[in-house]
Amino acid sequence: MKKEVGFVTPEERDQIQKLFERRNGLNELAKILTANDDELYQKLVKDMGETATKFQNWWNEMGAKYNWEAADNGNWEIDFNDCKIYLVTP
Amino acid sequence: MSKIFEPSSSWKSGLAKTVTFIVTKDCQLACKYCYLVGKNEKERMTWEVAKKAIDYILDNEKQFKEESVIWDFIGGEPFLEIDLIDKICDYLKIEMYRRDHHWFDSYRFNFSTNGINYDSDKVQKFIAKNREHLSIGITIDGTKKKHDLNRIWKGEKPEKGSYEDVVRNIPLWLKQFPGGGTKVTISSADISYIKESVLHLYSLGIHEVNINVVFEDVWKEGDDLLFEEQLIELADEIIDKDLYKENTCSFFAEFIGKPLDPEKDNQNWCGAGKMLAVDSAGNFYPCTRFAGYSLREKRPLIIGNITDGIDHNKLRPFLTLDRLTQSPQKCIDCEVASGCAWCQGENYDAAQTSTIYQRSIAICKMHKARVRANNYYWNKLYRKLDKEEEREEFEKNEVESNNPIC
Amino acid sequence: MLSMLKYLIVQLDDTSTSFCHYVNDRKTPKLIPLEILRRAIIWSMKENLMVQFIYPDYELPEEYKKAIDEIDHVDIISSNNKDISLTKVADIIIFNSINDTGGYKLNENKVYVIRGTFNEIISNKDIIPDILPKATRLNLSITDIPALTPQIETEYAEFLDSLGEKVKEEYGKNHPVQINALTDRIMLDEMNNCNAGFEHITLSPDGNFYICPAFYLNDIQEGICGNLNEGVKIKNENLFKLTYAPICRECDAYQCNRCIWLNQLQTLEVNTPGMQQCVTSHLERNASMKLLAKIRELGEFMPGKEIPEIDSLDPFVKVIKNKY
Repeated sequence: MKKEVGFVTPEERDQIQKLFERRNGLNELAKILTANDDELYQKLVKDMGETATKFQNWWNEMGAKYNWEAADNGNWEIDFNDCKIYLVTP
Repeated sequence: MSKIFEPSSSWKSGLAKTVTFIVTKDCQLACKYCYLVGKNEKERMTWEVAKKAIDYILDNEKQFKEESVIWDFIGGEPFLEIDLIDKICDYLKIEMYRRDHHWFDSYRFNFSTNGINYDSDKVQKFIAKNREHLSIGITIDGTKKKHDLNRIWKGEKPEKGSYEDVVRNIPLWLKQFPGGGTKVTISSADISYIKESVLHLYSLGIHEVNINVVFEDVWKEGDDLLFEEQLIELADEIIDKDLYKENTCSFFAEFIGKPLDPEKDNQNWCGAGKMLAVDSAGNFYPCTRFAGYSLREKRPLIIGNITDGIDHNKLRPFLTLDRLTQSPQKCIDCEVASGCAWCQGENYDAAQTSTIYQRSIAICKMHKARVRANNYYWNKLYRKLDKEEEREEFEKNEVESNNPIC
Repeated sequence: MLSMLKYLIVQLDDTSTSFCHYVNDRKTPKLIPLEILRRAIIWSMKENLMVQFIYPDYELPEEYKKAIDEIDHVDIISSNNKDISLTKVADIIIFNSINDTGGYKLNENKVYVIRGTFNEIISNKDIIPDILPKATRLNLSITDIPALTPQIETEYAEFLDSLGEKVKEEYGKNHPVQINALTDRIMLDEMNNCNAGFEHITLSPDGNFYICPAFYLNDIQEGICGNLNEGVKIKNENLFKLTYAPICRECDAYQCNRCIWLNQLQTLEVNTPGMQQCVTSHLERNASMKLLAKIRELGEFMPGKEIPEIDSLDPFVKVIKNKY
């Protein structure tokens, strides 16, 4: 089930969209990068960790700021087109 | 609550640079309306050319300040060169990352394919590998009859249509890209199939049909009336059967058919010049439509190459081009001007001289026919919604404009 | 009637001197047929056009001279022209090398044009000041504008400023000499461009009309705009007008030639200048601005005339900024 529970500002949307894109980019890069390119590989591993942290921090901060409705086993989703936040539950 | 199905806005519309690799000028098909007059099997992009193009573009980050990039692959049929494309995309990902290029955080790989080898192992492997960054459109023209009228296999005698070879891949494509839209091109011979084709595409599960008439001067006496008739019949079907709730057809858009303000609405329609295309010879073009294989009458309009870079003087006419300067007075004064599109490449090809500043008006009567049918569509739809007291909700979802489909 | 055309340029021979930015490399004479010349003269009379003849350096046959004498006209010759009597009466004298000015006896009733590359003009910067006291009007015509580099930009700006000092001295001596690159902008309130394809066209030795001699000499077929039999047919003629030039119509370097041939060469469009042409014209515009201030140090001069400070040498930047 998907329920609209709030929204963020366009600037806040831009922050998470950039992190979302970066996370996807890193994941797909990880599929082709081998440890042979040690320097780039190390950079990628570190970056994946940092990006995941930033990503989670954004949701934590926004959740606290806007006090969106939450649910056990549920998760929030954002619609990048209109900045709306949805609570998705199984 | 009534809902209108909205066409999806293109990714990062207006904010992304489109860089097109013309990876091959070959195609399995020989579509009768294809504007690519110089298709051939010889001009295939090599890895060396592709790499040099990428290196030039990524090395010159300051020249490409757009916040996002669409790496676009076109042919011919691009998936004929899936090995090269795979290598290009891997290199792009690695190099954007290695260089800390700002596009690493905002890129897409875009394909327009005839869909024939969509289910091949290589293409499927590529899709799996790049799933989050892919946009793939399969071209299918509608019913088997309409599709096979134009989209025929190359070199087959007697003529052999490609419908069955494409339609078998539609379910897989829609599963992988739910909401995928298709692009339909209408030429003079196709007009009488418009209604059934659009409805057929809806029935295949393709809910977004981007459809346009060709810009070339192919229209015969009476085509506009036939076109209008088809669109009216299509409008009736869409409205009477409530198809508008889940489907969209780009022929019907509320913003079209209004006069345009000379000052506020003076922008160019086409994005040529803000895009960049590179071919197998390593030449740069403002759009693929300016490459030699796209042009009937004119010489290629080359704006640089992968060795010497872009000649920015040759981009100045594109970047300063506006609607009024290229339009004849009858277009400037036109009461139904909004939504009347043009293709800069076709303008160039059809112009009296080698200029992009002479707007081709070959679609004039077709646009006017579209406007009449469009007015009918919206009047009929609003009336229905009024009766059902749903118009207010409907108008909230009103689409402001649609993007030109090149 | 050709309402917009004001004059016809007649390229009398393939080797006729260039008088502008284009270079004429042709060495083999090819004289315009006498019959065509005569018809062109009659046609010009009927169309009310002024005629400018551009001469080769060799002396024309007598019957050509007689034909030319039938119409009120302007003679344009190079400083190396061998026809002594023509040299005396010619209106515009072209120096195809700045060094050709040495020892040339100047006449205050004539217009002189010095053609040369940036480097030739800049590196001979001491020559022009010597000419100024003897000239009434001098045009500088740069022959390699597309070669402008940031370094040349600086050097050309310095050259113009230093030349401005000499012009000021002449004004101080009550000799208001005119130099296109420095004084024209001061006098102008609107664009005063070449206007090839709009105010004038060129008849060439092959019997065709061209937009200007540069289109003929560079074999640009799209530059052909009719002939004496069929009349003038300028395709996409609007594109030669200022109002159809998105960059130029926003520009205030009014003295700029707005060279149609250079436009075509650099941007592939006759209505769009390349960056180098714009920057060159703006260096001249800004030098004119400084010269205006210098002349005013001598006393009141053109009160009310202002050339404002601008922050870009390329009006393209302004156009793009307003557009996007």
